Amino acid sequence: MTNMATILNSMRDPMGVPFYPWMFQALMVLTFALHIIFVNLVIGGASLAMYGHIKGKEEPKWKRLSATLARASTVNLSLAIVLGVAPLLFVQVIYDPFWYFSNVLSGWWAMGFLLFICIAFLALYVFYLKRGENIEGYGFFGAIALVMLALTAITISALSVQSLHPEKWDSWYLIGKHMNTAGTALHDLNIARLLHFIVPSFAITGIFLMLYSWYFEPRKDFDHEYLTWVGKTGAKLALYFTLLQIVVGVWWLLTIPKNLDFLTNPALLGGAAVGVVTLVILVGAQKNPQKQAIPVAFVAFLAVLAMSITREVLRMEYLGKFNYSIYTYKLNLDWGSTFLFFATFVMGLIVISYPIIIAFKLGRGTDVTGGE
Amino acid sequence: MYPLFEVPLVGGPILIALIAVFHILPCHLATGAFWITYFIERKAYNENRPDLLEFLKKYTLFILIFCFVTGSITGVGIWFASSVTAPRAISGLIHNYVWGWATEWVFFIIEIVTIYIYYYTFEKISPKAHMRIGLIYAMAAWTSMVIITGILAFMMTPGKWPVTGGFFDGFFNQTYWPQLLTRTALMFVIGGIFGLVVAPFVTNSSARETVTKTAAKWVVGGAVFTALFATWYFYRIPQSARELIISGYPYLKLMGFVAIGSLALVTLFALVWALPKPLSLNPIASIVMVIVLFAGIGGFESIREIVRRPYLIPDYMYSNQIIGHDMPAKGVKAESELINKEGFLKYAKFVPQGLREINEKNFMDAGRIISKYQCMSCHTFSPDGRLSIQKLLNSAGMSAPEDVADLLDSLGDYPYMPPFMGTEVEKRATAAYLAKLASPDAEVDPKWVVNGE
Ligand code: HEC
Ligand code: HEM
Repeated sequence: MTNMATILNSMRDPMGVPFYPWMFQALMVLTFALHIIFVNLVIGGASLAMYGHIKGKEEPKWKRLSATLARASTVNLSLAIVLGVAPLLFVQVIYDPFWYFSNVLSGWWAMGFLLFICIAFLALYVFYLKRGENIEGYGFFGAIALVMLALTAITISALSVQSLHPEKWDSWYLIGKHMNTAGTALHDLNIARLLHFIVPSFAITGIFLMLYSWYFEPRKDFDHEYLTWVGKTGAKLALYFTLLQIVVGVWWLLTIPKNLDFLTNPALLGGAAVGVVTLVILVGAQKNPQKQAIPVAFVAFLAVLAMSITREVLRMEYLGKFNYSIYTYKLNLDWGSTFLFFATFVMGLIVISYPIIIAFKLGRGTDVTGGE
Repeated sequence: MYPLFEVPLVGGPILIALIAVFHILPCHLATGAFWITYFIERKAYNENRPDLLEFLKKYTLFILIFCFVTGSITGVGIWFASSVTAPRAISGLIHNYVWGWATEWVFFIIEIVTIYIYYYTFEKISPKAHMRIGLIYAMAAWTSMVIITGILAFMMTPGKWPVTGGFFDGFFNQTYWPQLLTRTALMFVIGGIFGLVVAPFVTNSSARETVTKTAAKWVVGGAVFTALFATWYFYRIPQSARELIISGYPYLKLMGFVAIGSLALVTLFALVWALPKPLSLNPIASIVMVIVLFAGIGGFESIREIVRRPYLIPDYMYSNQIIGHDMPAKGVKAESELINKEGFLKYAKFVPQGLREINEKNFMDAGRIISKYQCMSCHTFSPDGRLSIQKLLNSAGMSAPEDVADLLDSLGDYPYMPPFMGTEVEKRATAAYLAKLASPDAEVDPKWVVNGE
């Protein structure tokens, strides 16, 4: 595969990277974890809103939850998009040959998935804003949103998988004496891998419900029976889907080529361990989900982060077979702009903490004046 | 080189331009609108006019949906459209400006968090805190423009960057300040016009009158400054580009008139209708004005795009993604010389089997591959397509391979085309293919292609 290695390295940007590759890698892994959490919240939240929509015809609790989740999904979708921008940027810095190849080859899909999101978004807004007391007919919009979200996930996952298989690129692009410039096909998809990113949607949304129940607990004007029910429902959901996720994880592992020796990889073992811890703590949280919400959320975040790290280590294993290493990327250090980013980043965290604290206090009903 | 993605009939650049125009309205609205809301909200509290808040709520929801659905998705859309039609160029930009975009991203986060909280806390927190959140949004949004403008300006006038390779050398170039100020003034026009779209829906008539007048004033004021700064901007772009607009290329002149005309029309609308007769304003008319602005912005942006030719990154990378000039500061050698010496087909990575060496059997295929790689970034290969290569060859009267070969030799003399790059044999193979494409009964002598005689 030395030939492929030369080709891959020569496809890199000749100007090199403006800072050490590990930094972009670390930021990519971190922001991907945040991205996928919000993707999970959207998919899980919208699905549950649909479930509640149907179930809500008999059970008012579900109707109420459905409305809350529909509204939350619009916000979460905005956040999923904006948090997707960061890994999108960083993957192009260190994995440019793979990312661009895969995108160009499926050009219409790479653009089409944004159309899917746009439709999903508008459908969600209709589902949330227009569906008042009279809910008849609006289920259609919720369903459209779900289909579009599923298409989005399939597309992005296929693009990711395509980028991991340089050995197949020629056969996708070159057909006889012709080049396949149509960009209409998706060439590769790993269902187990896709499910491994989608199944957690329901676990993460379950934890979101636990947090919801914890958050509104101090509010006197809330129906506490309802809150307890939300918390319990969330905890159950989280537990069952974490179990399912372990099954899906094993399935995915079985699809990974044996020559990568991934089964004994420390990143994988570490990730699996955090997954098991999540499961255990969820079992313990079933009795009183409100109390356990914060520790559960914390551990689940670690689990997602571990998943993101494992995903990156797996990519390095795949591409290592072609002697590709991001750490050998040509370096043209630029301290000025690096400093600009980190200074802005710290400033940004400080700035957003102000409105977030106000909103947090307001929602909990502990301080409605906003600190004035 | 990466593989190619072919957009039939219109070509890749139009696809990007189309998405870009759809992006520009919402993104300038997102940056401009909250200065107006801040102004109106302050008025509401200072003059004790809670009736004005109705407008603010409607306007904010409108921005939330319009800018944070279409605006953010089309923004990412431009990026993906560039990635699939010109991956090496976007890669080059990213490898220089990644921290710029990352900084911009921080402001996106601030924007999105503050606008949702602003919207959901109307009348629930103290006016002072609420206005402060609005102001944070306004400042973050404008700062994101401060950053992206540097990168946009770089794409036309890279300043000292080709020599130094420095981030800020390319960023603060001669068109940076005029462009930033033009966009800043323009964002008030756009914010104001959308204000005029929402204002007629305000139920309280005294509030409707106030917000309509306010929005109209922002339109007029913004338009005056847009005109002023755009003129300054025009005199800062390179001489050659200015000449191209005024006299070189009729299409550009037309686009210039569209841009100026639309700004004038919008100003007139605000001056003769919205300002003197605010209560009679019809939202349909405002929406028509949005479409007028849309066309004007399309004109402005297409000028920006076209005068970049034949480069995607000026003085560095050609439109067909071949690096045409050395960049010593970053240790990059021009590819053009190497390609001319060793051959394009050897240099390009993804070429069908058996075409790297040209012979009497495969030259047509080789010519097809080369011309797709080198011409497709601007020309389409369908007879009815935009800048159709067949049509242009026909109207230039090129039917013999020898004539086309001569044309390829002089391609670099056109101000808007990169030179042909490749060996002599490759050039003749390309000429043979193109001649046959333009006139199917052209005579091609395989011996001429391979031996040159
Ligand atoms: C940077 C964009 C760009 C690239 C790349 C490009 N062209 Fe052009 N070309 C143009 C433009 C713009 C025109 C002017 C079209 C018009 O007159 O409306 C043009 C005009 C032409 C014409 C007509 C010339 C005349 O005198 O009327 C021919 C023939 C042509 N191109 C051939 C090619 C070939 C062959 C290639 C590839 C080797 C190529 N072009 C690459 C932008 C480009
Ligand atoms: C809301 C709809 C979205 C869904 C359902 C979604 C889903 C996913 C999934 C499932 C993955 C993992 C793919 C895999 O590794 O197999 C992923 C990765 C990714 N997504 Fe999203 N996504 C969405 C929106 C976006 C948007 C709008 C962007 C861009 C701004 C984006 C950028 C990314 C990036 C950059 C990756 C990582 C790709 C890689 O590292 O190879 N996503 N997304």
